[in-house]
Amino acid sequence: MNLPTRSLFLKILLWFWAALVLTACSIIVTLILQPGGVPSQWHEAQIETVRYAAATAVQEYEHEGAQGASEYLLERDHIAHRQACLFGPDGMSISGGRCERFGSVAHSVAKSGKPEFNVERGQATVAVPIQGAHQDRYIYVTESPVGPRAAVDTNLGAVAVRCLVALLVPGLICYLLTRYLTAPIVRLREATQQLAEGNLRTRADERMSQRRDELGFLVGDFNAMAERLEGLVDGQRQLIYDISHELRTPLTRLNVALDIGRGRKGDDQAFDQMQQDLERMNQMIERLLTLAKLDAATATVPFEFFNLTDLVASIVHSAGFELHERSDKITMDSEEVFQVRGNTELLQSAIENVIRNAIRYNNSEEPVQVALERMGSFVRITVRDHGPGVPSESLQRIFEPFYRVADDRDRQTGGTGLGLAITERAVRMHGGKVDAVNETPHGLAVRILLPLQI
Amino acid sequence: MKQDRVLIIDDDVELCRLLNERLQPEGFAIETLQDGQTGLKRAAAGQHDLVILDLMLPGMSGLDVLRNLRSRSSVPVLILTARGDDVDRILGLEIGADDYLPKPFNPRELVARIRAILRRVSRDAGNSSIVTVDNVRLEPSSLKVWVDETEVSVTSLEFILLEFFMRNAGQVMTREDLTERVLGRKAGPFDRVIDVHVSNLRKKLGRVSSEEHIKAVRGMGYLFVVRSGSK
Repeated sequence: MNLPTRSLFLKILLWFWAALVLTACSIIVTLILQPGGVPSQWHEAQIETVRYAAATAVQEYEHEGAQGASEYLLERDHIAHRQACLFGPDGMSISGGRCERFGSVAHSVAKSGKPEFNVERGQATVAVPIQGAHQDRYIYVTESPVGPRAAVDTNLGAVAVRCLVALLVPGLICYLLTRYLTAPIVRLREATQQLAEGNLRTRADERMSQRRDELGFLVGDFNAMAERLEGLVDGQRQLIYDISHELRTPLTRLNVALDIGRGRKGDDQAFDQMQQDLERMNQMIERLLTLAKLDAATATVPFEFFNLTDLVASIVHSAGFELHERSDKITMDSEEVFQVRGNTELLQSAIENVIRNAIRYNNSEEPVQVALERMGSFVRITVRDHGPGVPSESLQRIFEPFYRVADDRDRQTGGTGLGLAITERAVRMHGGKVDAVNETPHGLAVRILLPLQI
Repeated sequence: MKQDRVLIIDDDVELCRLLNERLQPEGFAIETLQDGQTGLKRAAAGQHDLVILDLMLPGMSGLDVLRNLRSRSSVPVLILTARGDDVDRILGLEIGADDYLPKPFNPRELVARIRAILRRVSRDAGNSSIVTVDNVRLEPSSLKVWVDETEVSVTSLEFILLEFFMRNAGQVMTREDLTERVLGRKAGPFDRVIDVHVSNLRKKLGRVSSEEHIKAVRGMGYLFVVRSGSK
């Protein structure tokens, strides 16, 4: 996953992780600052353990004397890290090291006769009264590290491992959670981009819409929207296609009827006008049908390898032929022989439309110039005329259907307003691009970029 | 003068009526039919000089009619195709139509096309001597072509095209020349009809003989290759 640093993924991940780690830290800090919160069960268990140790210490004392008891206590300190002292009933220490700090606790227990449990700065002090074999009363006091302090005191390596685990386990959980939340969004975004590029068949992954949560619903809604969009656009295309198709029948009859009328009534200017308009309608229908098909059937057009240079040469040749004896009005220049993969018919009409356009507007003595040149892995076909050019704000829009630069001019010159739209779509279908620029001192250059097959 | 008999197969009754009205004064005997099945039967009967076939027929499609017709008859066929429907046009020509006209068409153009094709096909009295170039033999009196003694079936128009090629063997024929001589009209600006006919002919000859008889000359046209050096 390639994500920007401010991505939702990173935000959610860091926020959740930070929340979990902070929670863990605050619990630890609270434990250190508020040690009172030690569970009472543990409390009881501690006292029981201390009682057992106390009984043993008293036994040692009664059999071996103070020396024996001290040895036992030292041994315990050694093994269990628990310092302990044994006091007499009067609260005076009998055996054990550094017993003076336990003095006050011992006195207090001697008075009350009840065990005491104090926790201070991570050290638990447990004092229990105990009876010897001869009904003598003793007081046993011990201390041991508890809580986080215990951990810190015992093993630094283990602490590091625990911290790492505390950091990584929430991290992993957060990562999985965040992925679970953001992955569908990322994929939905890809689908949206595809849709925006005009690929209306795009749907978000069906598996995502199986989720029974908000994201699942969003994916479902997205797909419904895409479906509707596709339906609308398809419907519009189909309508254009059907209208054009249906218009042909009456137009064909009209053509024949007009000719019959002409035969009967002789030549008349009105007939000429009708004839001219019929021709224009014929042409418009042809182009509309081509356009509708280009929009609809990207996948069904057969592609083949062919020689683009030859194709352009034959178009230029035919166009020169059409110019009647004025073939010097168009020139062609190609660096090399270019091979492309595509649909010959479509590319032919794409290039032809541009060349015809150039011829139509080329009102100068300079010839229309057609040039083929290599641009990296592309071939660029430039068609340059020396006509009036196009206002710069219209340069993008001349490839839109029925867009006219100036209201009258195009109609006067006999255009349908569809030629360049066909060019744009055909070129795009071949993975190419087309644009137009104004040349100095005047004239328009249309540049078609097509991927080369090497 | 004998009238040329033209069969029109188109499902548009009104258009057929108008065409009848328009073409009769031009000296054609018109018969119109609206469906593919009967149209095919009539066309194959051999009573017409030319068939005008609409490719967009309901029921049996125009392409099927044409394919069936071509297996039995070499009668010239002019197809009417949808404007903008290049696939149908190319397919129609490849199956063996002689020329095409996109609908809607100008009736004068239709008349001109009909006359051109009929003129080419009926013109056989002039030069009826057998032509032989290498292993290809062409007999104008019977409209038959042999390659290495194997008969190759060609349409009337392909025959004319081949004859023109062989009578000018070894010379480059431009596409404009070929269109004018074979289709009897000027080549349109982006006209590729003649290329389809040449390609059909090449395929038919290629099926019998592995040698390449008709060669494309880049940027110029086509030429019939002479190997032996003697005509």
